[in-house]
Amino acid sequence: MKKNISLILGIILVFIILGIWVLSFVRMPYNPNEMNISNRFLGPGLDRDHVLGTDNFGRDILSRIMYGSRNVLLVALVSVTLGSLVGIFLGALAAILKGPVEKIIMRIMDGLMAFPGILLAMMLVAVLERGIKGSIAAISIFMVPVFSRLVYSMILDTENLLYIKAAKSYGSSKKQIFFKHYIPAMLPRLITQFSSSMGSAVMIETSLSFLGLGIQPPYASWGLMLSESRQFFLNYPYLAVAPGIAIIITILGFNLIGDGLNDILINRGSNHE
Amino acid sequence: MLSYVLDRLKSSLVVLFVVSIITFFVLMIIPGNPAQLILGTDATPEAIAELSSAMGLDKPLYQRYLSWLLDLLKLDMGKSYVYGESVTSLIARSIPVTFSIAIFAMTMAVIIAFLFGMLSAIKKNSIIDYFSRSIMQLGTAIPSFWIGMVLIVYFGVKLKILPVSGFVPIERGFAPFIKSIFLPSLVLAIGEVGTLLRIVRSSMLDSLKQDYMDMARVKGLGWGKIYIKYALRGALTAPLTIIGMQLAKLAGGTTVVETIFALPGLGRLVLTAVEHRDIVLLQGLVMFITSTVVFVTLIVDILVMLFNPRIKSFHQGE
Amino acid sequence: MNNTVELKNLHIKAGNTSLVYKTSLIVKEGEIFGLVGESGSGKTLTAKAIINLLPQGLTYTADEIITVGKNMLTASNEEKRDHIGKNVGYIPQNTVFYLHPLIKIKNQIGDGYIQHTHKTKQEALEKAEMLLSKVGFKSPKTILNYYPWQLSGGMRQRCNIAMALMNDPKLIIADEPTTALDTTVQKQVMELFKAINEEMKLSILLISHDLGLVKRYSHSLGVMYAGQIVEAGSASTVFDEPKHPYTQLLIKIIPSLNIKKNEPLTEIPGFVQDKDRDSQGCLFYNRCPKAMDICRVKVREHMKEDHYYRCNLE
Repeated sequence: MKKNISLILGIILVFIILGIWVLSFVRMPYNPNEMNISNRFLGPGLDRDHVLGTDNFGRDILSRIMYGSRNVLLVALVSVTLGSLVGIFLGALAAILKGPVEKIIMRIMDGLMAFPGILLAMMLVAVLERGIKGSIAAISIFMVPVFSRLVYSMILDTENLLYIKAAKSYGSSKKQIFFKHYIPAMLPRLITQFSSSMGSAVMIETSLSFLGLGIQPPYASWGLMLSESRQFFLNYPYLAVAPGIAIIITILGFNLIGDGLNDILINRGSNHE
Repeated sequence: MLSYVLDRLKSSLVVLFVVSIITFFVLMIIPGNPAQLILGTDATPEAIAELSSAMGLDKPLYQRYLSWLLDLLKLDMGKSYVYGESVTSLIARSIPVTFSIAIFAMTMAVIIAFLFGMLSAIKKNSIIDYFSRSIMQLGTAIPSFWIGMVLIVYFGVKLKILPVSGFVPIERGFAPFIKSIFLPSLVLAIGEVGTLLRIVRSSMLDSLKQDYMDMARVKGLGWGKIYIKYALRGALTAPLTIIGMQLAKLAGGTTVVETIFALPGLGRLVLTAVEHRDIVLLQGLVMFITSTVVFVTLIVDILVMLFNPRIKSFHQGE
Repeated sequence: MNNTVELKNLHIKAGNTSLVYKTSLIVKEGEIFGLVGESGSGKTLTAKAIINLLPQGLTYTADEIITVGKNMLTASNEEKRDHIGKNVGYIPQNTVFYLHPLIKIKNQIGDGYIQHTHKTKQEALEKAEMLLSKVGFKSPKTILNYYPWQLSGGMRQRCNIAMALMNDPKLIIADEPTTALDTTVQKQVMELFKAINEEMKLSILLISHDLGLVKRYSHSLGVMYAGQIVEAGSASTVFDEPKHPYTQLLIKIIPSLNIKKNEPLTEIPGFVQDKDRDSQGCLFYNRCPKAMDICRVKVREHMKEDHYYRCNLE
């Protein structure tokens, strides 16, 4: 098999972020929330005490990036997991039961898809509390129609395949057919979608935090760090560099893994496109 | 043709109906009494009760939904408590801002995506192809708020050639107008160009493999004819659909960019409504934005159909 | 008499796999040359090499490729494209997608003509109308306004023929021009080719798996097997005195001959090999009823006047 550059690069990037995340539990150079006004706006440098510098409150940026990775990854992972589970369940329910259940579920999904970009997440945040829980709930709901539509159309496609018909004629129960035939047939696409959705979840989480609708200060979150740096970054541009790069690496990593898996699992062979 | 349009129109209306139910009932579970929110914490219980009944809050939910829906159809979306102004006029005032940057952004994205998408498909695995594929990945991975901040520093502060905040209406001159929307549009365009470029490239690759390309070559046509008249013509359907979806998305998904560049558009209104839990305003905005999305999508679907005569004939039942 | 196509020792490879090996053929001016063989024998690739249309990813070498007086081995890509466009008409086998589905006939039939003759679109359409009525359309004007998918298979094929004739070519390459057409239409199309050939004195390279059809219409023919021409010559010689066992077998089974696309010939046991096509032995060895041990490693090429065959038998 030809080397899959996207997948390799994606795995490397995600490993970098996961490394930072694991390290944040082991040891951080400073307390991420400790303010020290006399140390504010120290520039970055490898030979300095604060490798990535300090912010307007004198907090260590590297420690805040490390601490922030916990929130970003937690929110992304939990919400994509929740959203995909609910989405798969609803999509499968609609495709298998058909009739009015199918109509109602799929119309609701159409409705949810009509909310562009982060509008749905913002509307939900208005209702829920701001913070980790609110973000998780909002992003989970955002993910539901993505997965339910995918599963729905895959089941309808797979249904036409011979082996399902054969299984039906052998008298397997609906549940058996679902777990024995549909799930293996759908797994490659679901895994691919999961990885790309992690990328979008990180994008939404950081956007919400940036807008002040996500994780609240004084806790560290990458989007929030960028938002707090807005007042100062004209004079201290380095403030925006580290969180920006952290976000890009994370999203790029998950997207590349999604693309790479797509090439390997779905477009086997014809992947150079 | 007509039956197709009617069909699509019907399903669009169903979607909007579902959206109205979601919007109304989701925003109903907001904690706290809206009358209390409006009057503030030191209001007397009597005043709150009076306002509640004036707002119809004491009626059953389905009745409130129906009267809200009826008002909505009359374009009466109520009064924002933050601004103390009718939601309809607030929206009307913000439309030019958001639509200007959305359309300008899509224009930029379309030009870049088609240019690089076509070149990269024609010269597959060349330097330009790798460059385009990098744009594809980076475009979708770079957050708009970050690229926006970078552009502000570079163009606005270092080069001082473009304004970094505020909106100049087109009535005050075309050049200042374009200048004021250039950077925000560029940020949006960067966010959309990756997806579009990917679609253009893959449709183009697909089209280049088709038999009609052999025919165009064997006829000895020039490169322009071969690649634009034949290859591109066969590769337009999917990109057109995506452009429609992106345009629709931008019509309501510009909150972040409007915040960075301090533009008084729809996105800013959404943010204010969410921050202050101004339900009436948020309900109106959500309904307006989703309707825009649904109708832009509808129009693009119809355009794609007109453009692709095979779909047309399929619906004519030929 | 001049030759319209001269091809010597063509060798087409996909990576390291040979698809066509040591193939030579000559199409004389004004003749119909039939190229017969089963599916996968390399007929289409050979024809595509002649008109510079090999798909990307394939490489080829040859001692000589001269198409309508132009040396295709030394010409630049631009020159080749221009020369082929002016002088060769191509009628591919599957006409559904060879005509661009989203472009009306009138907008694709004449663009090659306009390109090469610098005439106006109006003049191109007039010529197209003339040719469309020549290929049997009663109301060419209406045809011009159709999209390809609004026409039947036979109509599309005739449009393609008209399009191929736009530049008064010296050579027409017709690749299985009658596949997918019903028998009456098949006959009409073939008679049309015959008429064009006689009237306009142009050469036709007719690619077909149908030996009966080739016998009926061509002046000369080449029989291809596993990427090689195993026998070639004038139609009378090859059909009266076939030398190669493969040709002999084919001729014997003509009456019942029913070679379907993409299916092996069941009348001759075994399969066409797709590996080691550049072997020095005979590629028909494993299916040949008269095979000898020597055939595995070596094969003799015979050239008696115009009659060519490669076989160790006399």
